[in-house]
Amino acid sequence: MSLKLFHRQQRGILLSPDPELAALFLGLWDNQEVEWTVITQGRRAMEVIFNEPPDILIVDNRLDDMPSAEVAGIVKSENVYRQLPVILCLDQRDMQDEWNWNEIEADDFLVRPFTGREAKERVHLTLCRASRAMDANPLTKLPGNTSIIQRIQDLIDRQDDFALAYCDLDYFKSFNDKYGFSRGDEVLMMTARVIVNIIRGFTGRRTFVGHVGGDDFVFIVPADIAEEACQRVVAAFDDIVPHFYDSDDREAGGIISTDRQGEVRTFPLMAVSIAVVFNTDGRLKHFGEASAIAMGLKKKAKENPKSCYVLDRRTE
Amino acid sequence: MEEDLKTSAKGQILSIRDLPTLPKVLDEVSRLVQNPNTSIEAIAKVIARDQVLSAKVLKMVNSPVYGFPGRISSIQHSLVLLGFNVIRGVIISTSVFDIMSSTMVGLWEHSVGCALATGLVARQAKLKDPEEYSVCGLLHDLGKVVAAVQLPELHKAVGEAVRTQDLRWFEAEKAVLGFGHDRINAWLADHWHLPPTIKEAMSSHHHPERAQRYPQHAAAAHVGDFIVRVFEYGNGGDDQAVPLSPQALKILGISLSDLDVVLDGFAENLSEVSGVTFGPEDAVPGKG
Repeated sequence: MSLKLFHRQQRGILLSPDPELAALFLGLWDNQEVEWTVITQGRRAMEVIFNEPPDILIVDNRLDDMPSAEVAGIVKSENVYRQLPVILCLDQRDMQDEWNWNEIEADDFLVRPFTGREAKERVHLTLCRASRAMDANPLTKLPGNTSIIQRIQDLIDRQDDFALAYCDLDYFKSFNDKYGFSRGDEVLMMTARVIVNIIRGFTGRRTFVGHVGGDDFVFIVPADIAEEACQRVVAAFDDIVPHFYDSDDREAGGIISTDRQGEVRTFPLMAVSIAVVFNTDGRLKHFGEASAIAMGLKKKAKENPKSCYVLDRRTE
Repeated sequence: MEEDLKTSAKGQILSIRDLPTLPKVLDEVSRLVQNPNTSIEAIAKVIARDQVLSAKVLKMVNSPVYGFPGRISSIQHSLVLLGFNVIRGVIISTSVFDIMSSTMVGLWEHSVGCALATGLVARQAKLKDPEEYSVCGLLHDLGKVVAAVQLPELHKAVGEAVRTQDLRWFEAEKAVLGFGHDRINAWLADHWHLPPTIKEAMSSHHHPERAQRYPQHAAAAHVGDFIVRVFEYGNGGDDQAVPLSPQALKILGISLSDLDVVLDGFAENLSEVSGVTFGPEDAVPGKG
């Protein structure tokens, strides 16, 4: 019956003067799943929230010292707390006027009377939605570092065999320097689509694609298809990337620029370098090992100005 | 008055939601996308034979949603970047023309023929990315399809004028609408963020010498259009030959003997595309 939605215990803060509401929330979860702290006054809660931000915050509009919207506003106005999901708990009378959700940055609301079941599902949905949104790369919307590390560590813990590939672009910086950031973003969006679609093209296999940031991407595939995946990514990238240059640079096969010393430098067209680490027979114990090996391999891959991939033969 | 017509026609044209196509190719692609193991190459090959499906995938991949508008001009690249799910969505949401008029079949054949011819011209002229030129040829008359769907009454009137006044379709459009499909093409290309090379070919294939930035693309499509009409393959709406712009050959840097080579190549390869029948099984793919 009980689905495991979260990897670790979740911490929630409930701001409410209503003992019935507190009892309801405390009774809904096993303490191992969600641990609730109940605070009956809004002002007093601020310091607790700022010092130890919970995974979710429920704010009752019946607080007598401040309106729930104000609590949400204070929390959400700080960039470090913006990601903290907030659910408002309202009464029917609060629904008489329209709410300006542009100003009140809540994530969801509940209106009394509601069932325990409803409250529980609302909280779960809000937590899951927040974890999805929080870690996504803002440009490509691919899962970011937290999800990547979590995925790798999960696979290691389960002693699953897998291949972990780190991809990055050669000469991306010189492209950015010449064409500007928005043209650089175009290339990153293209790269993301190429990797995602090629990896998803292996239908029926367990795969994962993430965006570490900048021009660094990661994909995870079963070991037996790793090399073919690399070959396909390299071929598609090399085929498409010339179209992101202006026609004169494309003709010239790269960017020619003069540096500050007056020296003429040539940068070839961008290429993709991929380093692949294999985890077989439970060889890896920790995420850090995987990334350390990959970084070493990447240096090797980078020695080649053309698109290429390097497989970690020791672990294969 | 004329400006009013143009403004309202443009609004009509750009509000197009559904570009229908012909059942044959659509059936084939639909069958391919049902199997998730079908290769992108196989799907691309079929889509590249249909101007509407090609236009749809190019429109989608160049939409700002994907983050690189105006960059992608190849069907194969489009499919790699869109991915299988999106392609399947595009195919599923494509309908067929309710009325399978022979002029529509003729227009499809004309477009596929022009894609082949334009690609051959580009190869003969030793231009980079000949596939991109094929797409230019394929889409050069897309405005006619959109006009038929969005402005059916006016489209009919153009057809009437072609028949009764012995005009070329392009001339009849100007007489009836005040503007031609080249203009419609330009509106569509802008609205759909198509790459500037394709836009130039679509909007300037009748007057390559007036092309601003990519005269080679416009000139190649112009010569392609000329060749497919010489062979009377398919039908662009009228049965008249287009005058070949002498400027076009100059822009491409090819001679009349080069053109001969292309004509021979077209004759040799025509069977490849003419094997594509667009009509229902029993209908004779007609010359309208």
